[in-house]
Amino acid sequence: MDFPILSLLIFIPIVGSIVVYLLGRVRERLCELASLVITVVVFALSIYMYGSLLTSKEGASFSFIEGPYSWLSGFGVDYYLGVDGLSASLILISSILSVLVVLGSWDLITEKKPIYYFLILLFEGSIIGVFCSLNLILFYVFWEIVLIPMFFFIGVWGGPRRKYAAMKFLIFTYVGSVVMLLGFILIYLFTTPNTFNIPELVGKIPFWVQLLASAATFAGFGVKLPVVPLHTWLPDAHVEAPAPISVFLAGLLLKMGGYGFVRVNLGLLADASRQYAWIFIAFGILTMFYGALVAMVQRDLKRMIALTSINHMGFVLLGSFAGISASTTQAAVYGISGAVFQMFNHAAAIGILFMLSGYIHEQAGTRNIDELKGLRVGMPKTALVLILGSLAGMSVPMYSSFLSEWMVILGAISVNRWYALTVLIPILTVAYFLWMIKRTVLSPLPEHTHYHDLHNRAMVGLLLYLVPLFLLLIFPSLLLGIVDPLSLSLYQAAGGGR
Amino acid sequence: MSANIVIVDYAAIFTVGSLLVASLTLSRRAAVRQNLAFYASLAVIAASLLFTLFNFSIYLASNSRPSYTNLFHEDPLSYFFALTVQIVSLLVMLSSRNYMWGDRNLAVYFSLLLFSTLGMVLLSFAADLLMIIVAWELMSIPTYVLAGLRKDNPFSNEASVKYFLLGAFSSGILLYAISLTYGLTGTTNLTAVLQALQASATHLDPLTLLALALFIAGFGLKMSVVPFHMWIPDAYEGAPTTISTFLSAGTKKAGFVVAIRVFVVALPFLSTNWTTAFAILALATMTLGNVAALTQRSLTRMLAYSSIAQAGYILIGFAVATEPAKTLALIGVLFHAFNHAIMQSSAFLAAAAVDRLTGRVSLDSFASLWRRMPITSFSLAVSLLALAGIPPLNGFWSKLVLFTAAIQGDMAWLALAGVLNSALSLGYYAWVIKRMYIDEPVGSMEQGKIEEPRVISGVLLAATAIIIVVGVYPSLIYDLAKAAVLALG
Repeated sequence: MDFPILSLLIFIPIVGSIVVYLLGRVRERLCELASLVITVVVFALSIYMYGSLLTSKEGASFSFIEGPYSWLSGFGVDYYLGVDGLSASLILISSILSVLVVLGSWDLITEKKPIYYFLILLFEGSIIGVFCSLNLILFYVFWEIVLIPMFFFIGVWGGPRRKYAAMKFLIFTYVGSVVMLLGFILIYLFTTPNTFNIPELVGKIPFWVQLLASAATFAGFGVKLPVVPLHTWLPDAHVEAPAPISVFLAGLLLKMGGYGFVRVNLGLLADASRQYAWIFIAFGILTMFYGALVAMVQRDLKRMIALTSINHMGFVLLGSFAGISASTTQAAVYGISGAVFQMFNHAAAIGILFMLSGYIHEQAGTRNIDELKGLRVGMPKTALVLILGSLAGMSVPMYSSFLSEWMVILGAISVNRWYALTVLIPILTVAYFLWMIKRTVLSPLPEHTHYHDLHNRAMVGLLLYLVPLFLLLIFPSLLLGIVDPLSLSLYQAAGGGR
Repeated sequence: MSANIVIVDYAAIFTVGSLLVASLTLSRRAAVRQNLAFYASLAVIAASLLFTLFNFSIYLASNSRPSYTNLFHEDPLSYFFALTVQIVSLLVMLSSRNYMWGDRNLAVYFSLLLFSTLGMVLLSFAADLLMIIVAWELMSIPTYVLAGLRKDNPFSNEASVKYFLLGAFSSGILLYAISLTYGLTGTTNLTAVLQALQASATHLDPLTLLALALFIAGFGLKMSVVPFHMWIPDAYEGAPTTISTFLSAGTKKAGFVVAIRVFVVALPFLSTNWTTAFAILALATMTLGNVAALTQRSLTRMLAYSSIAQAGYILIGFAVATEPAKTLALIGVLFHAFNHAIMQSSAFLAAAAVDRLTGRVSLDSFASLWRRMPITSFSLAVSLLALAGIPPLNGFWSKLVLFTAAIQGDMAWLALAGVLNSALSLGYYAWVIKRMYIDEPVGSMEQGKIEEPRVISGVLLAATAIIIVVGVYPSLIYDLAKAAVLALG
């Protein structure tokens, strides 16, 4: 490898964002096109990166390493990048969603376009930075930059209660982040050698530091994932955010929490994670049930989808911690790989649902499930996409989301048979999705109601979200090929399987 | 170059300059008076800034050892602070081109600013308690006048009187502390004080502790440490906003440098006493500052309380300025002092621009300001985010160093309090940003775009650039601060 592909992945969007802004000042259409070009370039690069990782089967160790280049000398802060199976799959989905979000925004965003696309690209670059930083402070820097665009997205382009939602989002996530930072400082100070570099820290952190740091980082990752009871910002943020931004929020921002749990808790704080896995698992199961049950009673379609996303992310917590504390290698790989797989699938599945809810809101003027009636007759294309998307949300076996939930539950059962109760979750999910479809799609169309249906480009843009889900159902090894080795090595590094 | 020669040069540059500027009041033509006063003061401050940079780089390049005379130290610490306060002075003077323009006493204004800056520079170099008090007064007295420069404005008068009374009080306390120290050790030179106290057992004397407490109170008044902070919000609100900038970003920093000299250098063996005191003061200062800032309705008052809170973060560094965390803690103090000077200048000067053009600083009038004053809004937003400690802006790095030092110095609770306070502070900083960028204008507020004052806009952009550059490349200042701390020994 000659050129610094990871730095390019981060800085093409960040530098591009300024170009896009300036172009947008000249003509608004230009910034839409330029953003598409930049996100497609990033997508191509990430495919290249992912492909070479997949062909070399090096998911377990870091590849494309850049650095460490000293950033704050004598303080352990380095510019240090690298990808393994976990990072690569999340970077891939980030670049996919960015392209689709830009496409969707063409229809749904009409105001202040230059600054909007500026922030979209800033978001993309920094979230890719989160996923490939190998230095905890570098990770934290990108982690915090992500907040700024999101705050403005919700606050400027959001719905009626956008100001409240934006402030709540900012305060919640920032409090979580600074407490997490304390955990990082603890790790730095009490580990020999003093360093923030993740690869050098593996297996060297004393147990008591692991315990304290787990508690501190739980605040940061738990708010982002989100874990019930730290989730209350999420429904508000989602309901107020414009649809494309909800896709980013659920598809990528929540993944930062999941990524943190796997990278830091499973990778660095492995002893504490193994010993106290039950606490995390309990939170995971609570989150799943809470999300599913509360989603059931929602009237607002978007709020329902937001809670589905809480429900789905609970699987990540369950899978990763069941995996690390499993007694057999097989179960561990099922659990951890299932969790990573679930993150990938959830991003795509929730993406189509959120984007669609935006279109529905625009076409029908409401997102209230009780008021949306007769979509089958009124807007047949929308109804079709809604059903296809809901099937992805339900994790039926026509999409890979089925595989990932199945893997997580399988991994969990082999840790403790009582975890089998989590099979109730997919059942509940199916129940509320079908109920929603019954009320909206299958109800009679009220008289004097005229809906506009989706136009074809929008429909293609939406169906594209489902492509990775189909592909991965048929060829799961496209993802598991690099994630499984990682799960195995995490499990073995944590002292499992001996 | 020996310390005395450096000081003589500074004194010459500033004194001649400020007398020259002051004599311009004699000129009858207002335009001449204003322009000449402005350019002459700029020339003075630019010359002394270049002189500092030149000497500092020679000093660092030649690996000199700190040089001492009876009255002055020449070491990286003094250069570091001299540089910081002069940058602040420069920013303040430039902004005065727009903010104070048309004032009758402009020549006096600039002349007093120069004198006060000289006081701060001398304070950075001072190594003798008597020199410290002289420089302290030279720094303070002009600012009493400056705070009350708007004679016909009752708030300005109130600010001045309140500030003067408490300032005089703090000088008195300091003098008392110094006379006690002299009585105990027979000397006023800091190095000699250290030796005298080490040689005898007098440091167990209750009088020594009294002197220590008085030093903390005396410096605390300038450093805006709770419970000596009461004058701050009123003074900052009533004084011309450029002067508030000068007080908050400039003279306050001078308080920190003498505190380092006195506590860390001269009284290290009393550290168990002063570290505990500073830990408690740090907690009280940052918490009270942040909580009070949350409830403010005017930007200048909010920034005043935020400035108190920031002093609290710096005090964390003092609280752990003993082994094993001494180096890191002092680096944090210097680094955050520098960053705070820049961030606070930027925020206050943005407030000055808004005040000058719209006549209002109440937070409600900031609604959708970005349409009317895009440059000011942008700089204000960046400086507020930096003050909150959002990476990759400069405030994040210095807070990171301070909190790390706190944990290293076995005061993890202080670090926890610090990060929670940072989170709390984002509440009001983000609130202003929300006002500027998200809220719609209320009622009959004017909507038209305002032509932003050129010089202040330039100053704001320069400060924003420093914030971002130091944020992206923190080693720039971190290494200087480290050199300064290591030279202290």
